[in-house]
Amino acid sequence: MKKKEARVITCIICPVGCRARLTMKNGKITEIEGLECPRGEEYVRRELEAPVRDFFTTVRIKGAVIPVLPVRSTQPIPKDKIMDCVLELANVVVDAPVQAGEIIAKNPLGLGVDIVATRDLDRVKER
Amino acid sequence: MVKREIDIAVIGGGAAGLAAAIKAKEKGIENIVILERNEELGGILPQCIHTGFGLRYFKENLTGPEYISRFIKKVEDLRIESKLDTMVLEITPDKKIIAVNSVDGLLELRAKAIVLAMGCRERTRGALGIAGTRPAGILTAGTAQRLMDIEGYMPGAKVVILGSGDVGLIMARRFVMEGAKVEAVVEILPYASGLSRNVVQCLEDFNIPLLLEHTVTSIHGTDRVEAVTVAKVDANWRPIQETERTIECDTLILSVGLIPENELSQTAGIVLDPATGGPVANELMETSVQGIFSCGNAVHVYDLVDYVTQAGELAGESAARHVLNELPSLRKKIALKAGDNVKSVVPQIISGEEPVALHLRVKKPMRNVKVKMGNLSIPKRVVRPPEMVVINLTEKALEKLEKRDELEISIEEETEP
Repeated sequence: MKKKEARVITCIICPVGCRARLTMKNGKITEIEGLECPRGEEYVRRELEAPVRDFFTTVRIKGAVIPVLPVRSTQPIPKDKIMDCVLELANVVVDAPVQAGEIIAKNPLGLGVDIVATRDLDRVKER
Repeated sequence: MVKREIDIAVIGGGAAGLAAAIKAKEKGIENIVILERNEELGGILPQCIHTGFGLRYFKENLTGPEYISRFIKKVEDLRIESKLDTMVLEITPDKKIIAVNSVDGLLELRAKAIVLAMGCRERTRGALGIAGTRPAGILTAGTAQRLMDIEGYMPGAKVVILGSGDVGLIMARRFVMEGAKVEAVVEILPYASGLSRNVVQCLEDFNIPLLLEHTVTSIHGTDRVEAVTVAKVDANWRPIQETERTIECDTLILSVGLIPENELSQTAGIVLDPATGGPVANELMETSVQGIFSCGNAVHVYDLVDYVTQAGELAGESAARHVLNELPSLRKKIALKAGDNVKSVVPQIISGEEPVALHLRVKKPMRNVKVKMGNLSIPKRVVRPPEMVVINLTEKALEKLEKRDELEISIEEETEP
């Protein structure tokens, strides 16, 4: 049996924000309506086939002036791995000092990206 | 009291202020002081841990901390003095600055030029007049962001967000990532107030409901928020009582607009624009008081930091030229007025002789429009309130422009022929 479905994806490439209406058959796009440019089509296909997102969160840090260190992934990760990646980093605690760009977690979940610090945090003297 | 004479004082060490200080130093001004109320430079960016910064300015996709650290490093490399933990209390029209901190005590700086870069602050519950009790757990989005991403506290577990401004959308995602449940984002307008990429990546990605044309009518709870009542609104934003329903939550986050911070501009006698809440500025970012310049979110609220940096650079360059006696006063002055579907325009005064970028905010979304300015007509595919409209008045356009003392800018939908 042929499975027919419809989906709407908002293009975020430019401020126009076209709403692409997709008609699909067996998981494949048969028709795209509502897009005003080819860049939108490329975005919609990528969103459908392998959506990725920039990943960023914080991890705990000891010995710095603040208790959390902001981090990001070196490359976007699959959209459906965001929460897994958050959980993977939930118990990470690093020691100050840390420099921006320093690797905080190497290749978590085998995603092929590293998690790096996005700011410097110096070590503060114990009081 | 410590008294000092300096060339340029920069009030505020965020994106705008740092760009201004760097540019002024590069123009050869030695004696610059940045006055910053926080304990570190950077303004709001250290707490904006998400990406999307610098796409225009650096052609790179940076996080807030990464973006601003490039400027902080430059300020340090150029040996520009900054006073942290320092609160400016007053600026006089003759450019005397009274500030205070715990090291110098009371400070009096006399500056040849001042750059105002105080940024903006968030509208609070008081500005909305929501009925109900006054329990703990009601925070602005920026405060929640600071608690979570700088101070390491979790502000709540079950969250309703009122307003769909960018910071609210960003925080919806952060709350979910940190284990909270976001019950809904409630927006009184028929469209989201934030950028569409944030609606997609912060709400849709995490299946957070966006309730358009809805508002919070009441807050419940005594010690802590226990629930909020939401209702659909009619075309005049009046809640429709039959549609009221209660959502249990322990936290209400407000993302209901930003206001340029200009108490100091007022002590200096600077004329403010009621449409922006910021100083009236000319194309050199000079305010109504000679030698006082302004930039960034203190002038009007931007959606992208890249533009804030550019405005800071322009203000810094103008301040430097003022100190060097190289700043021309505008020979001609054209006052720009907001017309149909234009909420505000910056700068408010142009010469009509130099190329300039105009920044507009529109009141409502429109497609296939013409931006009309006197005899000029510039087509745009789409205008939306969350996205600042940039009109580049090139030399060629200015040649064509019929110059008058006052020009109205309006946005009109193209009618079908």
